[in-house]
Amino acid sequence: MSESQYKVEVHNLTKNFGSLKVLNDISFNIKKGEFVCIVGPTGCGKTTFLNLLTRIYMPTKGDLLIDGESADPKKHNLAFVFQEPSALPWKTVEQNLRFGLELKKLPKEEIDKRVETIIKLMGLESFRDSYPHQLSVSTEQRIIIGRAFAMNPDLLLMDEPYGQMDIKLRFYLEDEVLRLWKETGATVLFITHNIEEAVYLAERVLILSNKPTTIKEDLAIDLPRPRDVTAPEFIEKRQYITDQIKWW
Amino acid sequence: MKKEKEELFLSEYERRELLQSRIYRVLPVAAILLLLLLWVAVSRGEASKFPSPTAVWERYLKLLDRPIKNLGLFGHIWASLQRVFIALGAAWVIGISFGILIGWNKKANALLGPIFTAFRAVPPLAWVPLVTMWFGIGEFPKVLIVFVGALMPVVVNTQAGIANVQKEYMDIGTIFHANGRQMLLEIAIPSAFDAIFAGIRNSTSAGWMVVLAAEMLGGKSGVGFLIVRGMDSGDYPLCLLSMICIGVVGYLLAIVIQFLERIICPWTAKKSN
Amino acid sequence: MDSEKVKLKLEHISQSYIVNNQVFDAAVDVSMEVRDSEFLVLLGPGRCGKTILLNMIAGLEKPVDGRILLDGEEIKGSDERIGMVFQKRALMPWKTVMQNVEFGPKIKGMAKEPRREIAQKYINLVGLQGFEKSYPDELSGGMKQRVSIARAYANDPEILLMDEPFGALDAQTRYAMEEEVQRIWETEKRTVIFVTNNIEEALYLADRIVLLSNCPAHVKAVYDVKLPRPRNTIDPEFLRLRREISDNTDLAL
Repeated sequence: MSESQYKVEVHNLTKNFGSLKVLNDISFNIKKGEFVCIVGPTGCGKTTFLNLLTRIYMPTKGDLLIDGESADPKKHNLAFVFQEPSALPWKTVEQNLRFGLELKKLPKEEIDKRVETIIKLMGLESFRDSYPHQLSVSTEQRIIIGRAFAMNPDLLLMDEPYGQMDIKLRFYLEDEVLRLWKETGATVLFITHNIEEAVYLAERVLILSNKPTTIKEDLAIDLPRPRDVTAPEFIEKRQYITDQIKWW
Repeated sequence: MKKEKEELFLSEYERRELLQSRIYRVLPVAAILLLLLLWVAVSRGEASKFPSPTAVWERYLKLLDRPIKNLGLFGHIWASLQRVFIALGAAWVIGISFGILIGWNKKANALLGPIFTAFRAVPPLAWVPLVTMWFGIGEFPKVLIVFVGALMPVVVNTQAGIANVQKEYMDIGTIFHANGRQMLLEIAIPSAFDAIFAGIRNSTSAGWMVVLAAEMLGGKSGVGFLIVRGMDSGDYPLCLLSMICIGVVGYLLAIVIQFLERIICPWTAKKSN
Repeated sequence: MDSEKVKLKLEHISQSYIVNNQVFDAAVDVSMEVRDSEFLVLLGPGRCGKTILLNMIAGLEKPVDGRILLDGEEIKGSDERIGMVFQKRALMPWKTVMQNVEFGPKIKGMAKEPRREIAQKYINLVGLQGFEKSYPDELSGGMKQRVSIARAYANDPEILLMDEPFGALDAQTRYAMEEEVQRIWETEKRTVIFVTNNIEEALYLADRIVLLSNCPAHVKAVYDVKLPRPRNTIDPEFLRLRREISDNTDLAL
């Protein structure tokens, strides 16, 4: 094994488009099984950052390592959840959950086992044979999230998966994602504009600056779970992060 | 000079990306060169069956010297284009109006829609015998046939665009108490511009194809006439030269239409930026 | 100020649709009153009810049952005194910002000069001076909704309906727009009916919140929000109210 104790290492990540500096020297590490949130002001280089992680763009400088090796979507197991759910419309819920695992040619028993675990954890038994168009947007998003966790990814990237959902639903889904994370031990990087969401979910919050984007602060959230969003310590963290990025 | 400087800041990955993007610019040029090579290869040996590039080039030079029926190559192209422009002008005005009528007015659509659908199934060239019988082989019948060919796509697209305006846009009109005329002029027609322009694009390429066919059936000018002339006199370089011109002019027409759309619908141009 | 005066009244409104040969009830016996110049928020989970109620007030659809009264008189179809800010495709992409904002007065047949003057006033009010000639697709999501708000105001409505206008914006732009709507409403008082599924947004903006149930929609509770403005979203009392309303809301998975 390599000497690195981190699952994910980001070293001096920099991206310029021509003379336009978008990302400037971003470095951070994520331990195996950690839940890290990234928040930044609207219009910070969030999309560029994501596209670098997913290897759609290549960095101008620096690199992203997984298990000490340069990240490669062909070799490493990266899973994504975006704001708009994207289940395959011609497959049932269960087939959608199996899909990624079948592509990886896992043995059938292994696939059965993983899919059952996820269905149980999320309480999706009654939707097993439904098609995506029969589901609400939030349920479709849950399927996508379940599918991503079922992959046992090296790194799970979530980009505002609960962006437009109301508070009640959001808290319910946030609790669900925490449950999945704890059960599967996944390493999660969760990007959001919602500061309350970041403080509720994360073990660590990375606060981004405006463009050219750097990491302004790497803030540990050591509040006990389940967290109380009205507790003074919670509000204090929320206020602190808000002060760091507030533009509105 | 400046470019070189910028490249100094590129990482190895980015250099590879840049190279890739250059390949996309080079590929079309490479395809043309390959086609030329193929042409040279095919025309070698049995030159009589497939004219070589040099033969076509020489035919072009000769045509500059000795016009056919008093017209040089560009004269003939212009003759064809004139017919197309007149027919297109008429087809656009009539086709867009008719498309709006049957797209907007349900009664008109019920009345005229089925007839039009049947009419549409008849290819423009099927009109040639009747049109020739009625109007002979002068200018007018040729323009008429092109007009028929160009009319269909404009009507179909305009009708679809007007009939399928997004409900959200119509709601804006309702909220602001627009009357029927305002609904049509302020909302339905502009929102259908995309569709109408698709019709205009299709009608232009259809018109350019039909005019050549119409000219092959008789006449003293036009690129279609040149092809027939080449065939009749065994002048195959002339045929090939005409065909190349057809391709190039068709390509240029498409670019002109695209340019026109940007000017008439500035909001779509801004979007693509 | 006659703040208790009832401006708009919904009486026993019901709405249903036929979906796949089955009757689907969207709203059942909804009655409520909207006071003059108040900021009323219709809050509800899921997709049921709220937008349908708003569309009926706007005259975009007719209720199966019940009446809508404006200043004591029943209204049928769309009424000139009611304006609306839409959620999706709010702007006409083929018109510039100026042309979008002057749309209402233009439809009324107002001459170019006075209507441009009105439009300019509201473009300035929403902070978009300098963007008059831009097309909607050149603007950010928040700016588009500003144009939409200016357009509704330029038609001088007595009642302004807002249908989840910030539903597609990110959390931070949403805060910015909420502050903006509040500022505009305090500058130009109108009766506002604002639809949202976001409890925080409702609490930040509303004089009163009408909480609707999930399908079929009926009025579940009405809250008077007495917090002083501008409100602080992390104030303990604000968070307490948020929890209270959230506990009373249906979960729409």
